Amino acid sequence: MKLNIEGLLVYFPYDYIYPEQYSYMLELKRTLDAKGHGVLEMPSGTGKTISLLSLIVAYQREYPLEVTKLIYCSRTVPEIEKVVEELRKLIEFYSKETGEKNNFLALALSSRKNLCVHPEVSSLRFGKEVDGKCHSLTASYIRAQRHSNPSLPSCRFYEEFDAMGKQVPLPAGVYNLDDMKDFGRRKGWCPYYLARYSILHANIIVYSYHYLLDPKIADLVSKELSKKSVVVFDEAHNIDNVCIDSMSVNITRRTLDRSQANVETLQNTILKIKETDSAKLKEEYRRLVEGLKEANVARETDIYMSNPVLPDEILQEAVPGSIRTAEHFVGFMKRFLEYLKSRLRIHHVVQESTPQFLKDIFEKVCIDRKPLRFCAERLRSLLRTLEIADIADFSAITLISNFATLVSTYSKGFTIIIEPFEDRTPTIANPVLHFSCMDPSIAIKPVFERFQSVIITSGTLSPLDIYPRILDFRPVTTASFTMTLARTCLCPLVVGRGNDQVAMTSKFETREDFAVIRNYGNLLLEMSAIVPDGIVAFFTSYTYMENIVASWYEQGILENVQRNKLIFIETPDAAETSMALEKYQEACENGRGAILLSVARGKVSEGIDFVHHFGRAVIMFGVPYVYTQSRILKARLEYLRDQFQIRENDFLTFDAMRHAAQCVGRAIRGKTDYGLMIFADKRYARADKRGKLPRWIQEHLTDSSLNLTIDETVQLSKHFLRQMAQPFKQEDQLGLSLLTLEQLQSEDMLQKIAQIAHQA
Amino acid sequence: MDEEPERAKRWEGGYERTWEILKEDESGSLKATVEEILFQAKRKRVFESHGQVRLGMMRHLYVVIDTSRTMEDQDLKPNRLTSTLKLVEYFVEEYFDQNPISQVGIITTKNKRAEKLTDLAGNPKKHIDALKKAKDSTCGGEPSLYNSLSLAMQTLKHMPGHSSREVLIIFSSLTTCDPANIYELVKTLKALKIRVSVIGLSAEVRVCTVLTRETGGSYHVILDESHFRELLMFHVKPPPATTTSECSLIRMGFPQHTIASLSDQDAKPSFSQAHLDSTSGGPGLSMGGYFCPQCQAKYTELPVECKVCGLTLVSAPHLARSFHHLFPLEAFQESPLLLHHRERFCEACQGELKDKSVFTCLSCSSVFCVECDLFIHDTLHCCPSCIHSRSAP
Repeated sequence: MKLNIEGLLVYFPYDYIYPEQYSYMLELKRTLDAKGHGVLEMPSGTGKTISLLSLIVAYQREYPLEVTKLIYCSRTVPEIEKVVEELRKLIEFYSKETGEKNNFLALALSSRKNLCVHPEVSSLRFGKEVDGKCHSLTASYIRAQRHSNPSLPSCRFYEEFDAMGKQVPLPAGVYNLDDMKDFGRRKGWCPYYLARYSILHANIIVYSYHYLLDPKIADLVSKELSKKSVVVFDEAHNIDNVCIDSMSVNITRRTLDRSQANVETLQNTILKIKETDSAKLKEEYRRLVEGLKEANVARETDIYMSNPVLPDEILQEAVPGSIRTAEHFVGFMKRFLEYLKSRLRIHHVVQESTPQFLKDIFEKVCIDRKPLRFCAERLRSLLRTLEIADIADFSAITLISNFATLVSTYSKGFTIIIEPFEDRTPTIANPVLHFSCMDPSIAIKPVFERFQSVIITSGTLSPLDIYPRILDFRPVTTASFTMTLARTCLCPLVVGRGNDQVAMTSKFETREDFAVIRNYGNLLLEMSAIVPDGIVAFFTSYTYMENIVASWYEQGILENVQRNKLIFIETPDAAETSMALEKYQEACENGRGAILLSVARGKVSEGIDFVHHFGRAVIMFGVPYVYTQSRILKARLEYLRDQFQIRENDFLTFDAMRHAAQCVGRAIRGKTDYGLMIFADKRYARADKRGKLPRWIQEHLTDSSLNLTIDETVQLSKHFLRQMAQPFKQEDQLGLSLLTLEQLQSEDMLQKIAQIAHQA
Repeated sequence: MDEEPERAKRWEGGYERTWEILKEDESGSLKATVEEILFQAKRKRVFESHGQVRLGMMRHLYVVIDTSRTMEDQDLKPNRLTSTLKLVEYFVEEYFDQNPISQVGIITTKNKRAEKLTDLAGNPKKHIDALKKAKDSTCGGEPSLYNSLSLAMQTLKHMPGHSSREVLIIFSSLTTCDPANIYELVKTLKALKIRVSVIGLSAEVRVCTVLTRETGGSYHVILDESHFRELLMFHVKPPPATTTSECSLIRMGFPQHTIASLSDQDAKPSFSQAHLDSTSGGPGLSMGGYFCPQCQAKYTELPVECKVCGLTLVSAPHLARSFHHLFPLEAFQESPLLLHHRERFCEACQGELKDKSVFTCLSCSSVFCVECDLFIHDTLHCCPSCIHSRSAP
């Protein structure tokens, strides 16, 4: 259908539209008009993706000079594929409706591992191996060497692409990863490099968060993207953690040993080159004296996105003399490594700020701040000069040099924690240096500054005001949308007591309590008897799950549960988990019924959807607080309090509730779906917890569904499940939660729609 | 059911929020809602009629009753098993009343096995006896959909192609224990054109959804006992025939009931063929009966398939009773009493119209009350006032 959103003609590829989608597009349009950033929360399964795509594509067509590009960031490869499929539908609809040939280029970009078509390279199992192998075939100096020695191996796809691919742009169309591969195979061009090259002139790019947020990758891939782009972060409820992870560095003894080996190799190579080709090193030296001026020019003319690892000051200066020659630099790195080694030889935990660390390093080994800063850049230059083929081998030393640059650049927002052993195994020495970023805004800042509109959206972003605060930006719109429903298809219940009236909670003091564990067991048992097909149960951590399951086994609860359903358990091992998941789905499919015990924050709670019968009930045992004893977390909380005036407790609760919401949200993936959401902890009934749940869940959490006993829960659930099993047709939704164009245009419907968006 | 099932003690039952359905009206009285609830109870949902379609009039139906552990649940009073068996008894009676030329068999499933309670037969008495006996049996273990379906399939697949083959499962459990992949079986069922319908007693189970969708049956989950009964009654009506089912002429015998007069010296009491293999009591020897027009075998009850020559024996009223399914009486139009200004008396029972709604026959525009409307649609199958006006010259 064709919609008129405040004067903008939007093609929407479906015959029906949900009211909240209309409302969402309205808000989105306003954000784009204001050229600002937005935070939008809309429940999963209400067609967020297609609303985003249709509005932004319409906007691009209407104002081609205002918005030139859409950068859509998603988390996983399957999600990326889903977005591309929606996009394909939309573009097809466009060409059908307008009758003109479509001139849109949209493509998905992923790692070499997903895009490589080289018969040998693509058969490698790990991403790193593929990258390394690819690099050894395609690096510029390797190809230069091949001129003199044609017997060296080469990648014919890359050669073809290099020779032909850059002259003709990729024909317009929508390409998912497989389409890229097909196209690459047909033409004999390397799909990965083709995609990387094509994103510069593509209208829509779909890729993973890391291509924008991880400074190392963003520098390679995304720095030339146009300023007039709209960036969308989908499923962005964890964006702060992604930012932090991309900036943090963990150094173990293994890393140091491997860097040591790297340094040795570097030294040997330098010696060898010196004998054969000393001019090369001189040339490099000259270049370094010139400094990084070129890069500076580029940044000033605003061609590139800034890189947080490469701060502005570096660009204006030349590489300091002390590390300018190759030997000196290697010696410098050696010293630095020795220093780090000595720091790891400790028996107690050390926490210090970056200035403290710099002072200490200056006193002990006379390393100045300035050369440290240039470490990353200097290493890169050296690797280029030395023509080292397999970059993958040098990941350790690259990590160390990045650490050196970061630690000397930022005096705020980072902390250094050195732990001699893991908390769980205090007897085994396993020293780790955590260089942890506490301020997610550092990584995302360039994105907000560079692009004209950044949209952060997810099903669970409540409370909305906290994201702008921790990411440090000013949104022009923040809105939360509810789900309009023809029938109440979600049933959140807070179970606070067992039948014996003992309070159920995963609070630290009582979590080992026998009665609490037994009541949790009874809850699971009772639910397993009345909920059909699949139940997903989430625990707060792996250790807690292990404890509980062990004592359930002793109490014979597991045995009773198994009479009703099969039990599967998520483990930290990815292969085991995916196996368990597969069997779980099979059991749900053929009527055996199954329970999946998993962990909040685990793989299952984030990426896996339990549609329809795969998840008829989600039970959240306890409140999934993070492990509060972790020093990294403590440091971060302190930082948040000092810098952003966010109280520790507020942040912890916010973090726990967003994960709880994520977990229970797994069960509802659309309006025809239905599911129970059981919060098994009395603390959920408190207003401060409840108020932090997304609005679309809160709405259905009435006072009568708080602090229930197990018996009451069973009765309410039984009733709910029977109600939901009654036939439900599309006609029932029409006019209420599903609209045709005529219905949408009616006066009172527009009024109703205005109420859906809830401005924060 | 006519008599109220004997209730368990209130405190033995589950936790119910009976007050939640009650709402006060403006004056703070509960009367309006209570009346509304009573009215709704009376006016059961009228299932939309199929209109003019071919119906599978000759039905072969297996009723599968789940007698697993979950049947001991007390959310139907006194428990699920007793309540179900009682309703199925009623269903069997009703079924033969409406489908005289059809047959029924009963299968129970528990402890991962399926057992035949009764074979496919056209005699309601036998089934009802078996059901009465089953009340005392214990429930246990898990049901097996696969085993019950394959048991039903073994018999049903030999039934003639023009008849409709159906399975109705009353499924209380949420799980099924199958020896093999049930989806393979579903394919076979589909190929054999066996229609499987399920009535769930607790919640929607995926495997049943797929099973019914694939085989063209219906899947319903009960809300409470009266809804259960309603859903069962829905299966009394013959389903529309599948387009691919064969058409064939069927030979039928219409035997006359003859009683040899006592004066006739040659007449001797004789056994009914139907009694020969049944061990259940009853008078074995009788003077009169129905004699098969083809082979002269004697039967005391109709309808029946002749044991000797395989001819279907029916009586004319039986066929006539099946007839109404083909031309169902259209639903009467419901309108609120306030808008109705003509006579205040029901055309049928002559009682005063008191309820909120009245029902008007579309062809003769006579007015009926709720009770009469139900009676006319469920039992009479024709509008009395239309018949009246037609017969009067």
